[in-house]
Amino acid sequence: MITTLEEKPHVPAAPRKRKVPGWAVGVLGVAGAIVLLSVTSYQTGFLQLTSSGTTQTAVRLALPILLAGLGGLWSERAGVVNIGLEGMMIMGTWGAAWAGYQWGPWAAVIAAVVFGALGGLLHAIATVSFGVNHIVSGVAINLLGAGLTKYLSTLIFQPLSHNPRQSPPVQPFETYSAAGLADWLGELEQGQRLIISDVAGILRGLVTGVSPLTMLTILLVPLSYYLLWRTRFGLRLRSVGENPHAADSLGVKVYFHKYVAVIVSGALAGLGGAALVLNAGQLSYLEGQTGGRGFIGLAAMIFGNWRPGGLLGGAALFGYADGLQLRSGGETVLALVYGVVLLLGVIVVWQLIRRRWFSAAAAIVVAVVLYLLYISLDEIPSEFVAYAPHMVTLAVLAVASQRLRMPAADGVVYRRG
Amino acid sequence: MSSSTSVRTDDPPAVVLTGITKRFPGVVANSDVHLTVRRGEVHALCGENGAGKSTLMKILYGMQAADEGTIEVNGEQVRFRTPSDAIKAGIGMVHQHFMLADNLTVQENVVLGAEALHGIGQKARKRIIELSGSTGLNVDPGVLVEQLGVADRQRVEILKVLYRGAKVIILDEPTAVLVPQEVNELFDTVRGMQQQGYTFLFISHKLDEVRAIADSVTVIRRGTTVGSADPKTVSSRQLAEMMVGSELPSPETRESTVTDKVVLDVKGLKLMTPDGSRPILDDVDLVVRSGEVVGIAGVEGNGQTELVETIMGMRKAGSGTITLQDKDLTKLGTLARREAGIGYVPEDRHRHGLLLTQPLWYNRILGYQTRKPTANGIWLDPDGAKRDTERIVSEFDVRTPGIDVPAAALSGGNQQKLVVGRELSGNPVLLIASHPTRGVDVGAQALIWDEIKRARAAGLAVLLVSADLDELIGLSDTIKVMLRGRLVADADPNTVTPEDLGSAMTGAGSTSAAVQETAVVEEGEN
Repeated sequence: MITTLEEKPHVPAAPRKRKVPGWAVGVLGVAGAIVLLSVTSYQTGFLQLTSSGTTQTAVRLALPILLAGLGGLWSERAGVVNIGLEGMMIMGTWGAAWAGYQWGPWAAVIAAVVFGALGGLLHAIATVSFGVNHIVSGVAINLLGAGLTKYLSTLIFQPLSHNPRQSPPVQPFETYSAAGLADWLGELEQGQRLIISDVAGILRGLVTGVSPLTMLTILLVPLSYYLLWRTRFGLRLRSVGENPHAADSLGVKVYFHKYVAVIVSGALAGLGGAALVLNAGQLSYLEGQTGGRGFIGLAAMIFGNWRPGGLLGGAALFGYADGLQLRSGGETVLALVYGVVLLLGVIVVWQLIRRRWFSAAAAIVVAVVLYLLYISLDEIPSEFVAYAPHMVTLAVLAVASQRLRMPAADGVVYRRG
Repeated sequence: MSSSTSVRTDDPPAVVLTGITKRFPGVVANSDVHLTVRRGEVHALCGENGAGKSTLMKILYGMQAADEGTIEVNGEQVRFRTPSDAIKAGIGMVHQHFMLADNLTVQENVVLGAEALHGIGQKARKRIIELSGSTGLNVDPGVLVEQLGVADRQRVEILKVLYRGAKVIILDEPTAVLVPQEVNELFDTVRGMQQQGYTFLFISHKLDEVRAIADSVTVIRRGTTVGSADPKTVSSRQLAEMMVGSELPSPETRESTVTDKVVLDVKGLKLMTPDGSRPILDDVDLVVRSGEVVGIAGVEGNGQTELVETIMGMRKAGSGTITLQDKDLTKLGTLARREAGIGYVPEDRHRHGLLLTQPLWYNRILGYQTRKPTANGIWLDPDGAKRDTERIVSEFDVRTPGIDVPAAALSGGNQQKLVVGRELSGNPVLLIASHPTRGVDVGAQALIWDEIKRARAAGLAVLLVSADLDELIGLSDTIKVMLRGRLVADADPNTVTPEDLGSAMTGAGSTSAAVQETAVVEEGEN
């Protein structure tokens, strides 16, 4: 015989050098963002940039985006593009209001999840079983979600609230605050010391007025990570999004996993709808309440490179932009423009070090334009301010989408055989 | 060397297929197939492309259900509804097109679908490392599959099968993607595993390989088994005649038609990776003359694709010049280059050659949308396109019900004949052919070879990239070997053997006088 291959001691090659681990990137990113905001607020004098009030609003506004993003993550990791998140979220808002005014906040949450999941089920039936183009089905669900809730709210809410576009008020969750800690942080925040006061303000915002829904949502991020990356079910789900033919050939039930993923996706989007309805500012269903947050959630997921940690960062960014404009209006958003100029400065230096002349030049041009804008305007027109989160979405996606890696079979209709 | 010692004839056979028939709408893929595989042997299944080998294996692996016939494994009759049924019965399959998820790690790919065995954590990792030895895989299980080369990916596929405890392993055209040295390593692995008691079903149409590795051979033709043979006594010619019912075509060209008229002149061509970290093409100089076929040999991923796409203008070169008959093409776009007289047979006809959902005559217009006979001034000329498509269909023997059917309705060979016919229309001075006969049947292969030879005799310059070394050696007047983005050696097709070319391609250094290294010594790499 030529060779006898016995089970000889086998030395695998050393694994490739790992780049900086994911959590470290996150920590660095958060630290960088705080330093940037701190310097900006110090330079411009707008303390609202890092105040506890702004943070609290930002958290509240980031929740629906985060939930929609998580929904997108589940679906797209299984290879189904879910542009219908917006529609599922609208269904969630209606469900939350309908159950919420009758049986309280927990019922609202459950109804929202069920309504969203129904939207997800519809998307799954269309895309997985019938092979409808994912975008077409998603757009249809968005239209359906808007139309159906309009019909249902005229039918059910109007007799009660005398307004076809609004539900009767729902009962909110009780909120919790870490009182002692918040007071101590409040003192620090008043201290007006660079960075320390800013960190204190942000932390205080995070521990004040926390509702059970907020805690649940935050928990869903590590939970999604654990389920998708550390369990057998998650491995199968992701394999379906990477190479369904390979998964099928190994006995993985491709359709089943896609169905589960898309239904969970809808449920999460629906929960996002509940987060909007149970939001302290509104406490009812309002037509047009979602305002494109399903799409922004999708953008947050893309920004986060189809990973839960990155998606949390994206949702925080968009929530912050939204919270800032809502709370403090045009002047502070203008201060944010100053922050962007600072950030661009850092990018320019980095690109120069890496000898990327073109990128550096482009960043310089943008920075100069924004700086001129900053010094020539007193405040950003209010018509424009409302669109701040959308503008941030657009800008971030344009810059960040270059090196992202989506699941290989994302959006591809799979047929057995 | 004989491996028949390990074949146990007294046990029930590992696999018996009896009277398997499978019909698809309009086609009978398998009819009355009989196959017996004894335990512990390497059994080869030979047949042309489209003879029904793959369908048969899909039936055995539970991916498709047979309309008639029975399957027995170890003497017991079984029915496979899904691949997991086949896996449970101890049958594993290594697909020709790898079934791997690039963005998952080796470990994730291996344990997928078999998590119940050892979980997905440390225990699974240990088991994978244990099994890696018999497949010759030497990488950490935590590495992403996209970082592996072709041979290692194949080992991961074998590892997947072993991990599930398969005893019968189907290898579907395992050598199609490998260079000769890798083929030898694969065969060593197969023989070693055979000693450990594994049974192999080896699917191939490469007769030399079949005779080298198999203990017995079954030949399949037009969907049915036409006979068995002993690979020790049968000749390649006899096998070939069983396979096709007539003699195999040969790519051999007779006399040289090379002139001294330079058609394509590439000088100092450079191309960097998109992130600018390393060169894909490094200072490539290349001359193709009228009536000459220049062959580019190389392991896939060494820059052949990029070279072709850069010459076509689909990628922008970092530096260097490309001249076609004294006309500088360097700054021109792809359409302008085609108009200057380049015909292009792309390596992936589905991605770059055809619109599969569009009719044949519509596909005729692609790339010729500014020229007669498919265009008239700024307007397209559908009538002209249809007439010319009819011409191609008859001249190039494209088997199709008509020119209005979508390209997807044609078999791979007929699609390729259409592409070659189109690219040889409009009197090109240069034809760039990337893997022109990949995945086509023997008949289409012969026709495409004949057409290339005829055009060459008429003065066409041809740049041929191919992974089929016999094709490369048979058709080319000059062979250049590409390694890590450079043309590192020249080979004389009259004297070089596939093995010599193979070692030059892997950078093992030339072992033959027929291969002359041309490149400067590579810095610290050899």
